[in-house]
Amino acid sequence: MIHVSNLQKSFGHVQALNGISFNITDGEFYGLLGPNGAGKTTTISILSSILKPDEGEVIISGYNLLKNPVECKNVIGVIPQEIALYNELSALENLMFWGSLYLIPAGTIRKRAIELLQLFGLFERRKDKVKTYSGGMKRRINIAAALLHKPEILFMDEPTVGIDPQSRNLIFEVIEKLHRDGMTIIYTTHYMEEAERFCDRIGIIDNGQIIAQGTLNELKMETSVKEAVVITCELATAGRLNEIISLWKDSKRIDNKAYFYSGKVREDMSKIIQLCNQAGIEILNIEFQKTNLETIFLDLTGKQLRD
Amino acid sequence: MKRIAIKDLKLFLKDRKTMLITFAIPVALITLFAFAFGGINTGEDDREYTLPITDLDQSEYSKEAILRLDTLKSLKIVEMPLEQARQAVRKGNEDGVLILHKGFADSLRDGGRLPVELQYDQAKEMQIGMLQQSLIPTLSMIPFSTGDVKKSMSRRFDKMMAGSSPKIREEVNTQFDSLFNSVSRGIIPENNANSAFDFGSEIKMTKLVMAKDKSSPNLIQAVAGTAVMMLLFSVAGIGMGLLDEKQEGTLKRLLYSPVNPNKILFGKIISANVISIAQLLIMFVFAGIAFGLDIIRHFPGMLIVILATAYACSAFGVFLASFASTRQQVQGLATLIILVMSAIGGSMIPVFIMPVFMQKLAVISVNYWSIQAFYDVFWRALPITDLTFLSRILILILIGTIMNVVALRMYRKNILRIA
Ligand SMILES: Nc1ncnc2c1ncn2[C@@H]1O[C@H](COP(=O)(O)OP(=O)(O)O)[C@@H](O)[C@H]1O
Ligand SMILES: [Mg+2]
Repeated sequence: MIHVSNLQKSFGHVQALNGISFNITDGEFYGLLGPNGAGKTTTISILSSILKPDEGEVIISGYNLLKNPVECKNVIGVIPQEIALYNELSALENLMFWGSLYLIPAGTIRKRAIELLQLFGLFERRKDKVKTYSGGMKRRINIAAALLHKPEILFMDEPTVGIDPQSRNLIFEVIEKLHRDGMTIIYTTHYMEEAERFCDRIGIIDNGQIIAQGTLNELKMETSVKEAVVITCELATAGRLNEIISLWKDSKRIDNKAYFYSGKVREDMSKIIQLCNQAGIEILNIEFQKTNLETIFLDLTGKQLRD
Repeated sequence: MKRIAIKDLKLFLKDRKTMLITFAIPVALITLFAFAFGGINTGEDDREYTLPITDLDQSEYSKEAILRLDTLKSLKIVEMPLEQARQAVRKGNEDGVLILHKGFADSLRDGGRLPVELQYDQAKEMQIGMLQQSLIPTLSMIPFSTGDVKKSMSRRFDKMMAGSSPKIREEVNTQFDSLFNSVSRGIIPENNANSAFDFGSEIKMTKLVMAKDKSSPNLIQAVAGTAVMMLLFSVAGIGMGLLDEKQEGTLKRLLYSPVNPNKILFGKIISANVISIAQLLIMFVFAGIAFGLDIIRHFPGMLIVILATAYACSAFGVFLASFASTRQQVQGLATLIILVMSAIGGSMIPVFIMPVFMQKLAVISVNYWSIQAFYDVFWRALPITDLTFLSRILILILIGTIMNVVALRMYRKNILRIA
């Protein structure tokens, strides 16, 4: 469905993209996860054909984006991060207008607009000017406006940045539904929770490069970060940790902390507690060291995902 | 309170933009207006006034008279055939034409009234008035040097007595008149005796272009001048709407759609044109209803000027906007440019009362061409096939097209660059 290979883009001396490549299959939910300035927006801008890459190739639905931008644009829907609507027009007028840009018969657009208004619970308010809407209502129309031409592919560039929790939940609901309905989605974010929650596959992007990609499990397997049960004990009994550490095949001790590495930390936890009790170790704290996208990112780049 | 004031002043002094708007721009505008109103004397009188003269007498005397007029510093005499001169006046290129009729030499010899006529455009009454005043001393001196001496003597007497009370003057006048009459069988002018004192009557004044209905030049000036200036303000607003769309993100959304980016600009241009045409029509219809501007009779011409003006002005609106990437960057500048253009182009005061160099400057403004074309239609009543009129329309279309082309280029460069 989408093939992106070796995208390069620089702004002056800033190399924003430095060889981005990925493939997305039909109906897949692909996440681009990376910190601010990683190149997410630049990638989305190129894919939505409002920015020309210096190099690289993009094939969307079998069309070469650079050669046939119009064909590509016809199958793409882009949900802008900011609310981009005409405030003086009503919701229905807005939807009719944005739909009319896609060479669909007016009757079809109207039908579709009404469907979307009903879906988003705004049918009753369809004739009111958008400027009279609450933030959440505007956001719904903002999403609906990208769906009028029934795109096969949806781009969302950090749709939840700087918005209230209620609107965020609304966006989550909508995109989950769209995903269920089989839409192919590219979603960028710097929140690992969002990427973990929605994405079938994730590309981790940093400094204009995709440094790792795959399903969440694949990424976890690839990383050298291992999950562990971490035991903190009374200093007085810390010496006895050595005994049980020698019993666990992959473990280490730092002062009064012992790391028991394991592929299945939950199951192994009780075993480890039992061992501690037998050795007479007074446990102060037990925690899991989990691998998540945050730690994977830290492992890969030596940086925090968020600063 | 004092501290707050001091802080404000400090901030003010640091803000160059505000400083510019507060001090530099008003000074610049005042200078401009002062020039426009001719209030500034640059050394000598820089208004060298071009006066077409037609010599129908073609005598030694008439040629002598023209030479004499040519010695006037403020005048630049251009001899022209009568029809050409009248045409120039009718088309608004000249204010008036001085005609030395046949019989000029004879009258001079006989000491009669000189057959001199000034045919002019009523709209330029002010200029013609000033012209008349500068012509009369020279014209009235002509008989003394070339004409009948006795007659001249009589006139000289008249002049000498000019300061005395009317009663004495009249008495002296009649005495000398009868004296000269009896002595030299001289020809008494057909006018009454007083006319000798009335210098104005030395030149026959004829309005070549004048009000046929209520369409006075003042009304046309007011309507056309205001209409074009206000139009410029509104189209600048429409043009800047494009920048608003960029800022509000709707432009980006438009670009996501399969619509050709150029068409977004063309759409703006079209809507600006439609609004401009409506605005101009409403203004002229209002002037027609409220002030009796004859828009019915001049409708075809008016429509042509409105279309051309709307086209040129709309282009100007998007042209202005295309140089910036945000409204803030261009808003102040746009207002300034429109004010300056309106001032030099004759929206505020008629171009023809401005000094000559300002009149030459006027051609760089849209206002000038449009207002002149409106004068052509309503005042000079030129037919729509008239070349002078058509050339103004052509220039408006040319201005519009050039600005549209430049705007398109700049739009691609500035506005379409979405960060
Ligand atoms: N229009 C632009 N001009 C100059 N530099 C830009 C522009 N757009 C993006 N950049 C730079 O390119 C890099 C990637 O930016 P961006 O794609 O916006 O990152 P992200 O969306 O992941 O935060 C950043 O260093 C940014 O400063
Ligand atoms: Mg971004």
